[in-house]
Amino acid sequence: MDKTTHFGFKDVVTDDKQSLVRGVFDSVASKYDLMNDVLSFGAHRLWKRYTIASSNVKVGDKVLDLAGGTGDLAIKFRKKVGDSGQVILSDINAAMLGEGRKNLINNGVFGVEFIQLNAQNIPFADNTFDCVSIAFGLRNITDKDQALAEMHRILKPGGCLLILEFSKTDSELLKKFYDFYSFSVMPKLGGIIANDEDSYQYLAESIRKHPDQETLKTMVLDAGFSFCEYHNLSGGIVALHKGIKV
Amino acid sequence: MQHFVLEQALNYLIDQGGVNLGALNGKVLHFALEDLALDVNFICTNNRIFVTTDATTAIDVDIKLKSSVFLALLQGEDLTELLRQDKIIIHGDVKTAQLLVDLLQQIDIDLEEVLSKYIGDIFAHQAGKLGKTFKKSKNSIEALKDELTTLLVAPSKSNLFKDKGI
Repeated sequence: MDKTTHFGFKDVVTDDKQSLVRGVFDSVASKYDLMNDVLSFGAHRLWKRYTIASSNVKVGDKVLDLAGGTGDLAIKFRKKVGDSGQVILSDINAAMLGEGRKNLINNGVFGVEFIQLNAQNIPFADNTFDCVSIAFGLRNITDKDQALAEMHRILKPGGCLLILEFSKTDSELLKKFYDFYSFSVMPKLGGIIANDEDSYQYLAESIRKHPDQETLKTMVLDAGFSFCEYHNLSGGIVALHKGIKV
Repeated sequence: MQHFVLEQALNYLIDQGGVNLGALNGKVLHFALEDLALDVNFICTNNRIFVTTDATTAIDVDIKLKSSVFLALLQGEDLTELLRQDKIIIHGDVKTAQLLVDLLQQIDIDLEEVLSKYIGDIFAHQAGKLGKTFKKSKNSIEALKDELTTLLVAPSKSNLFKDKGI
């Protein structure tokens, strides 16, 4: 019998998830940034800014941004590492990478390298990067444990992993509002703005299926990281996990 | 938030070339102020310092002290003398602890300027005030608590004004 995994609230054959996720992002790529701004009321920019500030990335560092999509983090990392550093923007989805390339050019940012890759099998040598980041991408990966092990492998000793992802809020009031917003408003807005209600229904569902803060922290430590801590942002709607390989 | 501020300040110092982390490289130091909610690990690696609150792994040096002793250290008090007076407890290599103390004593930068790059001017101003309080105040603890309250839980500051008439 085929192994299954979740795709939002649906159970699907494990091997099918990757192509289903690809379909979602192929569909939303051109409106991705606009939708992020609308759906988060612009807060995603603050979450990403905090992520960059927490990275401890320095001039000359090598940074890999996984599931980097439209390049928000890569743009900021590029400024931090300077000309002597290296930033690689990666995504499994070619359409998202294409949007990222356009976005970087529109922002006057050059020198970022692009690579289409699957985070479960990262084509870089051990101990290569000072920092690996993944923002709003981990929940779409089929085998998260394998991906985390790969991130650990390619980080140098002293390297830092940053995972920015939707998470769980403890506030009952916020939870009620967030559930209403996620399942009743977000898909409708997705339908109106991106002409794709289903993809934003998947977004809401995939957030609920993603591990909570403590579970993800345990997964990061199990992947081999010596330290991991998380910071809740916007009441826990989003969390930044920071793992350090010593 | 304190450890975020501390991490930013220490790495700024390292970036400015004022500190050689060589001897601390690879060390993990646990640092706790017994009478304040400051309990952090300094992970010195890859020529940078990560300041975390996570306590899941082995540490090389454990430093425990009261906040008044910490402030004395920041103002230049000799570590050996404080050890002799049993005002500071260190488990592990004292030389490594001394290196960390030396580093903390060097934090004499304008936190406001550093942080405004990351977190905006208003928040940075509050953090900067915290740093200056830490360094300069003679009766620092109450002032420090007040500033931490302002920085971390800004709305509670409104309690100061709620019973005051217009």
